[in-house]
Amino acid sequence: MVYTPIEKLAQATPQPMAQKVRGLSDRAIAWIFVAPSIFLLLAVNIFPLIWTIRLSFTNFKVNRANRDIEFIGLRNYERILTDSDIWMTMQATAHFLIWTIVLQVLIGFALAYLINMKFKGNDLWTTIIVLPMMLSPAVVGNFWTFLYQPQIGLFNYVVTFFTGGDPSSFSMIGDVHLAPWAIVIADTWMWTPFVMLICLAGLRSIPDSIYEAAECDRASKWRQFWTITVPMVLPFLMLAVLFRGIENFKMFDLVVQLTGGGPGNTTTLTSIDLKREAFEKWRTGYSSAYAVILFVTVFGLASIYVKALNKVKER
Amino acid sequence: MAEVELRNISKSFDGVFALNNVSMTIPDGAFVVLLGPTGAGKTTTLRMVSGLDKPDRGDVLVNGHSLAGLTPAQRNVAMVFQQYSLYPHLTVYENLAFPLRSPLLKTSEEDIKVKVSRVAETLQIAHKLDNKATALSGGEMQRVSIGRALVRSPELYLMDEPLSSLDAKLRADLRIELKSIQADSGATVLYVTHDQIEAMTMATHVGVLNEGKLIQFGSPREIYEDPVDIYAASRLGQPRINILPADLFGHAPTGATSIGLRPEQIHQGEGQESLVTRVEHLGDQTRLHLSLKDHDLTTVTDAHTQLAAGDIVRISPQNPFFFDAAGDRIH
Repeated sequence: MVYTPIEKLAQATPQPMAQKVRGLSDRAIAWIFVAPSIFLLLAVNIFPLIWTIRLSFTNFKVNRANRDIEFIGLRNYERILTDSDIWMTMQATAHFLIWTIVLQVLIGFALAYLINMKFKGNDLWTTIIVLPMMLSPAVVGNFWTFLYQPQIGLFNYVVTFFTGGDPSSFSMIGDVHLAPWAIVIADTWMWTPFVMLICLAGLRSIPDSIYEAAECDRASKWRQFWTITVPMVLPFLMLAVLFRGIENFKMFDLVVQLTGGGPGNTTTLTSIDLKREAFEKWRTGYSSAYAVILFVTVFGLASIYVKALNKVKER
Repeated sequence: MAEVELRNISKSFDGVFALNNVSMTIPDGAFVVLLGPTGAGKTTTLRMVSGLDKPDRGDVLVNGHSLAGLTPAQRNVAMVFQQYSLYPHLTVYENLAFPLRSPLLKTSEEDIKVKVSRVAETLQIAHKLDNKATALSGGEMQRVSIGRALVRSPELYLMDEPLSSLDAKLRADLRIELKSIQADSGATVLYVTHDQIEAMTMATHVGVLNEGKLIQFGSPREIYEDPVDIYAASRLGQPRINILPADLFGHAPTGATSIGLRPEQIHQGEGQESLVTRVEHLGDQTRLHLSLKDHDLTTVTDAHTQLAAGDIVRISPQNPFFFDAAGDRIH
């Protein structure tokens, strides 16, 4: 049989490219590509985590580095979990977390629903609404200290405009009952646009023809909202809650700028407390145990939540 | 039970007429098929009747009452959408039960179950009831979409190319099924398609639409045997009607510019000589492609014909249609 060059080419077994490049196998090349990220991950994530766990069983203080390190077992954990001050910060964090999520989801969804109604200039409104999110949290914190200022602050002025009374009769930051709400309001102002954007993506993913089908199926607007809009936006909404939850568990900058954790310890969130233990009181072993407890909490909550999220998506 | 009347309906989108002064009366219990190419205004007509769009001018009446200002929900019409429009987060069962759960109908759960399973049985999707609507093939989705309209008993069914994405066998089955459901229930159906076989087999009335205008409205037989113009004549019939210069066979009425010949209007055996260019054996019939004075035409002949390409066949017209320069029929 005589083959034309084209036929010969067609019959030839293709050589794996990698084998020709300086004798490296596919596997070796794969490792070379992945190695830098594995190294980075080990160096900045995994190693510190293991080291933190190790330190959490010691009385190590980083400003007394020459002192002998003593292993003290679970004593750090015991002290933390029985410390009522720490439970106070946990409560403050829970209050902050729950209320920011509730408010941001409700307001964010409502705004997205309104923006999604086709009206003139809704693009402009979207841009205006999204602006707070683009600012630095430290700037926002600073900015709200002025808004909350009892004598000259806009916030007090607006509230008393509706309720009556003297604007300087209350101080959002100075009052132990109001301060936890002051940080909730500031964070909601800043991050509701984020929830809105994600909800808007969800709403825009629902084709008009589904609503038209529902119209013909004689579903009222109310029923369309609950049986079509809400279930189809829910996976998006849950994702937004996950992002906001993780972010706000770590909340530091905005609150430090706004209240510095006060008055008293009423707005001392766990991350602020942890930073004081670690880098003001230099109780390294103790704060390592503290960090491990927070890590386990966030990790546990997040994994339960992600499981629920996947269930919703499968439905 | 409903007699539907479309009265002088016009609708334009961005200055272009989608519907131009369309009027028709759909008798109670009729199966009306709107036939026309893409952009003829078929879907727009359905949307006017359903209430999803409002006409710029004109009115839709059911049993003599105007529907103007009524929402789709208030109109009690069921619509099958071309793009299915299933509820993606619901199961097939929930999709089918959705219209029955309307507070306007007050159907009990047992009734819903009975009705849903009966429809699912008819459409051969009973084994898919627990699947999510998005986990179906295109044909299955289309059947669910049809089923969602069939579960309830509206005054009027509106169907927008409901069989277009089914395979040939299922399409043939469902054609018969839809027709018998309609005949049994006496429901009024307004049905859109560009498939002339669907029009011929199911319709009691056919409306031929072109560029937003209703060209002709009548029974399929009427339109086939007595078309008002070239356009209506060429919408029905397979192979298509041959349109040739009017004087090709000699004598033509004054004003006629073209002659229209359906296969059965071509008498074989005497007349002008034509060359056979191609023979297609389709089993039950054989198609002849002929060339006559440089004009191509197609006709049908005996299934067991001995003719082959290159042969000569004599043909002459028999009761042909004549059309004027504008394409209108000359009697």
